[in-house]
Amino acid sequence: MRRLEPLTWSLLTCLRFSRFSYNMAARVLQQCVRSLGRPSLRLCPVNLALRAAVAPAVPVHRPFSSAADSRRTRWLGQSRISSVGLLCRQYGDLPPLTLETIKDRVLYVLKLYDKINPEKLQVTSHFMKDLGLDSLDQVEIIMAMEDEFGFEIPDAEAEKLMTPEEIVQYIADKKDVYE
Amino acid sequence: MAAATRSQVISLYKMMLKESSRFPSYNYRTYALRRVRDAFRANREVEDPKAVERLMEEGEQMLALIQRQVSIGKMYEAQRTVVDAP
Repeated sequence: MRRLEPLTWSLLTCLRFSRFSYNMAARVLQQCVRSLGRPSLRLCPVNLALRAAVAPAVPVHRPFSSAADSRRTRWLGQSRISSVGLLCRQYGDLPPLTLETIKDRVLYVLKLYDKINPEKLQVTSHFMKDLGLDSLDQVEIIMAMEDEFGFEIPDAEAEKLMTPEEIVQYIADKKDVYE
Repeated sequence: MAAATRSQVISLYKMMLKESSRFPSYNYRTYALRRVRDAFRANREVEDPKAVERLMEEGEQMLALIQRQVSIGKMYEAQRTVVDAP
């Protein structure tokens, strides 16, 4: 910013006293803008004022505008590549939940739990009676389900969920999934 | 009384696990999770109401300690290690 000051000052004096012709002033302005047309300075207010002043006088060969043009075309090129994806936008959403996908995800989480033998695991197997887990393990399973499906299960309802089947049914009820 | 205490223990366990998993540092996080699990498993056979009461109090204090340490850990977060999830 400090570097600009002598330039701006000379510019202002030359405009104020109008000793130079309009042409001369325009040339000085143009030169000035060229020297300032760097990305780091592009946003400073003086530069913007200069651009506004030069725009009517010097309609050709503005370095920053050509740079902007090339940037724009590059951007357009990128968007053309991804325009196939634009036809079917997902809005960052997951595929819709169905009873089948909920069941798969529940079983997947359960298989990853180290105290459950994946071969013994059935949809109907009871955590305590069939899989030999205790109530603390059941709490951890429910926490894993909360992480997987992104919502909290209250303790009072969590302690009733004792089989994968019941968990699937509970999540389907909460997420409004029917059939 | 027994039923209420049981649900209290379960909820304390859940809260301690949840708080422990918030440690930014991998070492503290895995240690805290392991320590909480082991402590609850070690005392699962305790029947005496007074002993349960004392352990519950201890647990509440540990929960507060974990919460404090998590917030301190977040103030002085170090560079993530390789074992951390990206």
